[in-house]
Amino acid sequence: MSEHGSMISIQHLSKCFGDNEVLKDVNIEVAKGEVVVVLGPSGSGKSTMLRCINLLEKPTGGHIFIEDKEITDPKTDVNKLREHVGMVFQQFNLFPQLTALKNVMLAQRKVLKRSKEEAERIARFELDRVGLGDRADYFPAQLSGGQQQRVAIARALAMEPHVMLFDEATSALDPELVRGVLDVMHSLAEEGMTMVVVTHEMQFAKDVADRVIFMEGGVVVEEGTPDEVFNHPKHERTKNFLGHIQ
Amino acid sequence: MAAYLKPVLKHGLVTALALSLVLTFISPLLAGAMSVDVTTAKSNETGTGSVLGGEPTRVTWEALVGDGEQVSAVRVELPEGSSITDDSSVKVTVLEGTTRLSPENTAVMNKGDASVDVSFAAPLQPGQRLRLEMYKVSLPNVNGEVTLSGTYTLANGQVLDLAPSPAIEVTHASTAEKISNWLGEQPAVQAWNSVTFLRLFFQPELIVSSIPIVAVGWLISLGLVLVGFPLAIPIGLIAAFMKIARARILHVLAAIYTGVVRGTPLFLQIYIAFFGLPLLGIDINQYVLAIIVLAVNSGAYLCEIFRAGIQSVPNGQFEAARSLGMTGPQTMFYVIIPQTIRRVIPTMTSEFILLYKDTSLLAAVGVMELMLYSRSIVSLTGNMTPYIVAACFYLIVTLPLIRVVGNLEKRLALADSGGSAPKKKGRKNRRGAFAQMREEIAVNTEQAAEELQEQVRIEAHVDDASGPLDMDEALDELQDGAAVDAQIADADERGAQR
Repeated sequence: MSEHGSMISIQHLSKCFGDNEVLKDVNIEVAKGEVVVVLGPSGSGKSTMLRCINLLEKPTGGHIFIEDKEITDPKTDVNKLREHVGMVFQQFNLFPQLTALKNVMLAQRKVLKRSKEEAERIARFELDRVGLGDRADYFPAQLSGGQQQRVAIARALAMEPHVMLFDEATSALDPELVRGVLDVMHSLAEEGMTMVVVTHEMQFAKDVADRVIFMEGGVVVEEGTPDEVFNHPKHERTKNFLGHIQ
Repeated sequence: MAAYLKPVLKHGLVTALALSLVLTFISPLLAGAMSVDVTTAKSNETGTGSVLGGEPTRVTWEALVGDGEQVSAVRVELPEGSSITDDSSVKVTVLEGTTRLSPENTAVMNKGDASVDVSFAAPLQPGQRLRLEMYKVSLPNVNGEVTLSGTYTLANGQVLDLAPSPAIEVTHASTAEKISNWLGEQPAVQAWNSVTFLRLFFQPELIVSSIPIVAVGWLISLGLVLVGFPLAIPIGLIAAFMKIARARILHVLAAIYTGVVRGTPLFLQIYIAFFGLPLLGIDINQYVLAIIVLAVNSGAYLCEIFRAGIQSVPNGQFEAARSLGMTGPQTMFYVIIPQTIRRVIPTMTSEFILLYKDTSLLAAVGVMELMLYSRSIVSLTGNMTPYIVAACFYLIVTLPLIRVVGNLEKRLALADSGGSAPKKKGRKNRRGAFAQMREEIAVNTEQAAEELQEQVRIEAHVDDASGPLDMDEALDELQDGAAVDAQIADADERGAQR
């Protein structure tokens, strides 16, 4: 069973793609309001782990609890679960046929059944929040990558998620556009949003994370405060990885 | 009057009266009144040999002078609605047996009532044949038979009615036929037609006169495809969903349908439908049957177009929608389908063009459409020009659509690459337009190749998967496929790093 008060509890999670075992006995706890940054080389399984949290990937084994509800239970309403778990993708994945505003409104209308007026009001509020109030009527193709990603964040926030998952949210961006997205994530964290962030932005991890998890080869190698992991890594593999990056 | 004379007188008077009556009125008829035995009009139409009303033609009229008659004048009246113009003329010929005589005569053509008066200095004798050839006169513009009437004057001044002439079959002349006839008289057109190739393939008169006929066929072909294609869309959509749903049975049914229809020629399908169904006692109106065959055929192609369209939407779109809590059907209808429509419209338009052209195959089973209408004129005239006209009728639909497809694809490519809408370029000359067309074709080809690769990639995944019923699961599985790809890429990357 999960610990009381934790937002996400991942227990003995494993995931295989055919013979390829991507996750092996992963255990992670994320407390309410906590910002957890997951680091690791590509192929370490960190993205798969993140995608398991809202069942974009089906775990092969283990249990995941969100707010004490077991989502790996087949009886769980997956769509209901996903309403409360916001996700931001590396490739933004905005709906290209809709304007920024409509992108943020769609799921509010169809999933939360909000009225058009309310959905628009919230959408405009969220777009303002990510600094794109003046881009509401632009189509994704007319926005820069950074702007698109911020719209994607607004789209997730409009669903009033209890936890936000960021899957390499800045990896597809030109360096000069990364700042804006990180700023938004930073302020989200300061507002007390529970966040699980898969990223390669070390500085962000140092500045914002409450806890840093280092994964490699489908297992959690090391976890601790940013200070512990960055300045006093216990494991050789962590040191190697950080050495490569820095 | 004395009583005794009465019977004699009575008898004699009656006899005399009767005799004189017979002599005066009946005898010419009995003896052989002037009889009109030939009336013909020369065909004034290209091809079919019919006589067009309202168009100049040559009318030949022949009459035989009856026994005991001496004809000093003849008046021939053209049917009501005929016209004689300044260009008209008449040639008078008198024949005795095979001998051509040239009696002194005056012939007058009356424009007012469209009649011809011919009088002879010396009366025509019994057995002589009078022939009038009236040049450039027009018969009334009606459909049906017309006859010439008239009177003749005997040497003694007696005026008698001519018996009705044999009928001339007249065909109503359309504007096109009038233009066609006018063209035929133009020296430039005659010069053009003196070149065999041009005459056989591009005869101006025949172009003009076949346009209204071929146009009927064109409307029918267009009608067939305009009804058949919209019917094919739901068929294709349902089949596409059956293929994607991958409940084994649905998938197999859809695969059989698309496989059989796409794997056999439409020509054969038409034959089977038109000759096979009546054998089963199913008797459907041939146009309805034609529409059904077209719809079923095109539905199979549209199915593949829709399926590829749905699967060409990036996986991230499914994931983004699902991560927002949208259900499978919601994702389909609000996120995937709108993007699919945008993607499939160019291909759908191409399919429409193909289907429109394929209506020509229906000619083989006697459905009167564009092809068959033009063929009917070709077989009457032995001239290929109507086929060229038919080609033009196909092109006036297909060429603009081909352009539309090109523009749509260009726009789509730009939108996908994140560019703004294409600017309208001014077309200053033909060469510019052609250059652009070539460029578009090049772009389209490249894009088609890319799409094909993408499709093949997706299909590889689809074939691997075994069949869950649920659409949610189906989508999830699609995503698994992508995840495998990601893993493979990761593994490759790792390998490269080491």
